[in-house]
Amino acid sequence: MRALIERRDFLKAAGAGFFAAMAPRAALATIAADAVFATAYKDRQGGFGVAVLSEDARLLHTVPLPDRGHDITSDPVSGRSVAFARRPGQFAVVFDHRGGSPPQTIAAAPGRHFFGHGVFSPDGRLLYATENDFEAAAGLIGIYDATEGFKRVGEFPTHGMDPHEVLMMPGGRTLAIANGGIETHPDFGRAKLNLATMEPSLVFVDRETGDLVEKHSLAADLHQLSIRHMDIDGSGRVWFGCQYEGPATDRPQLIGTARPGEEGKLVALPADIVGGFRNYIGSVAANRQAGTVAVSSPQGNRLVVIEAKGGKVLSDQAMTEVCGLAPEDAGFMATTGTGAIAPAGRKTESLPGYVWDNHLLRIG
Amino acid sequence: MLRPLLIGLAAATFCAAPMAHAAEPSINAVKAAIDNYVRPAYAAFAQRSVAAAKTMEALCQAPSPDRLAAAQDAFMQAAGAWSFIEPVRIGPITEDNRLERLLFWPDRRSRGLKQVQGILAGKDETAASLASLQKKSVAMQGFGALEFILFGTGSEALGQDGASFRCAYGQAVADNIAQISSAVSDEWASQDGIAGLWTAPSPDNPLYRDDAEAVSELFDILVHGLEMVRDVRIDGFLGEEPADDRPKRALYWRSGQTIASIRQNLGGMLAVYDGAGLGDNLGDDAEWIDGSIRFEFANLERALSDLDAPIAELLADETARGRIVYARIVTSGLSDLVGTGLSGEYGLTAGFSSLDGD
Repeated sequence: MRALIERRDFLKAAGAGFFAAMAPRAALATIAADAVFATAYKDRQGGFGVAVLSEDARLLHTVPLPDRGHDITSDPVSGRSVAFARRPGQFAVVFDHRGGSPPQTIAAAPGRHFFGHGVFSPDGRLLYATENDFEAAAGLIGIYDATEGFKRVGEFPTHGMDPHEVLMMPGGRTLAIANGGIETHPDFGRAKLNLATMEPSLVFVDRETGDLVEKHSLAADLHQLSIRHMDIDGSGRVWFGCQYEGPATDRPQLIGTARPGEEGKLVALPADIVGGFRNYIGSVAANRQAGTVAVSSPQGNRLVVIEAKGGKVLSDQAMTEVCGLAPEDAGFMATTGTGAIAPAGRKTESLPGYVWDNHLLRIG
Repeated sequence: MLRPLLIGLAAATFCAAPMAHAAEPSINAVKAAIDNYVRPAYAAFAQRSVAAAKTMEALCQAPSPDRLAAAQDAFMQAAGAWSFIEPVRIGPITEDNRLERLLFWPDRRSRGLKQVQGILAGKDETAASLASLQKKSVAMQGFGALEFILFGTGSEALGQDGASFRCAYGQAVADNIAQISSAVSDEWASQDGIAGLWTAPSPDNPLYRDDAEAVSELFDILVHGLEMVRDVRIDGFLGEEPADDRPKRALYWRSGQTIASIRQNLGGMLAVYDGAGLGDNLGDDAEWIDGSIRFEFANLERALSDLDAPIAELLADETARGRIVYARIVTSGLSDLVGTGLSGEYGLTAGFSSLDGD
């Protein structure tokens, strides 16, 4: 995490031309902000984009998107971020929230669409995106060279269908990929084509060779538990959250942990907590400093914070359509599908023109 | 050491600023929808499925062209009754893979067709008994399989002696459909299961915490049903241009029931709307929404009502194809009317980040 003073110095050093693509007021607001977050939105006129927010819930500026976005990933080296289209979208937009370079659109390769998530290599050189080879119904990681205008330079299989979130494991060599297991095809919109036979998994893949390191699957009776969102806690363990595609009256556990060399397991949360999720976890975020993990359920209107070490529930909060989560200070900032922004320890704000998509990311 | 968790504590008060709306979500709408639509529609589906199983039995006992025609007609009746209740995707139909076992669709890579053809070619006896069929792939067990058996290549042999295996497999499939539909209908008829949960929201209710959540389910049925008709049923075969049409990807193309099934889907949705009385008591300012919804349902029925020919012929006919294109557009407009206009009147604007999962 870069301190405010360093960023100010950096921006000063970058010179006046740095803000060419940004209105002066937005540029000044970005400099003044302690921390900067980004989330995809829909505006009241039906337009889509990415909003850059300050830690006190002010809208710093927006980047328009051609259609609905989903998650955003950030390159810690160059400071650029990428917003991915929501599945089955076929675009991603690279933007620089400090206005250093104009936005750039990445088009999906023929026969591929994005799933909405991606991650940079630690050196910022390569971008990895979860994608669908939709004729074969096979999950892929598409590889893009950030130093060559985000040219697509390769792909490898995720060893499952419907790869959703992808994360970089500590060490920077292994990718953690959540294969949601749900078959979809753009010819049929977002219709789920294989609920009877889904096989979700969490896989670890060597990003340099594309080799499968480990594949974690759920017990057969939980094959309809779609593993979709993840974060990594301070001990390097992956926390994952699921959406259950089986009968609504079932109440499976929805949160689990895994790491290479250790059997994955579901975290046994109390029944009243699980019931509040309505079989749907929309986002998972770890606060490594605080040793906590937050999970959100926009269907259950619940935000639950768990102690990473012992799995104990620390708080259970009602918040209408809460989904986006990002660590902030000792807590979490949360955003909602009704347009609310709830920063850690500050007053909840709502921007009248916007509703927020599923994910929130700290980008600066 | 853990510092205090600083999640915005004011958030709980945020949602307490609802827009002014005309209609209150009332649990009576749910009760009415169950009594006026869900229960009778499942009962009709069960009754037609049992009838289809009986005509299959009669066909297998004494094959004849007349009995084959009767079995084909009974299939169409049962499939139509299923289409009418198909928009409902809650309750017992979601258990034990019943939805997929009744109709594995869309079958993009023709897995089901290949499996059914494999059973017929290999005379796999385990497919001809109900108990062992139910352990097989879902794609072998439902309307898709039965349609191929009754209307696909080689089906004419069912009217004569010499296709006893094909008939026995068809019998097992028809029995499976009858068993599933009867079980689902029985569960809905009881007040203990889903009907009890849906009509008695409470903080302890595992599915519906309050009346608004219960009434929202009615809107989900309508909005998702319209989306299914457009994205899955119509877009499955209708191309941007006629050259892109793919009539053999249409549901029920072999039995010529493609459009009939879509009309039943839409009829079921109108029955939800009417049965629940969602357009009643809207107030003067919002009565136009009810008028518009009815107008669009009527437009859909008028556009599709006499498109009885096989889907390939309809798509080859410029006028008929134009009416299908028109119906596709109307489903989108109707979806907005219900999902935004009407739900807004009830203060139930569909959730943005929780609409259909991601």
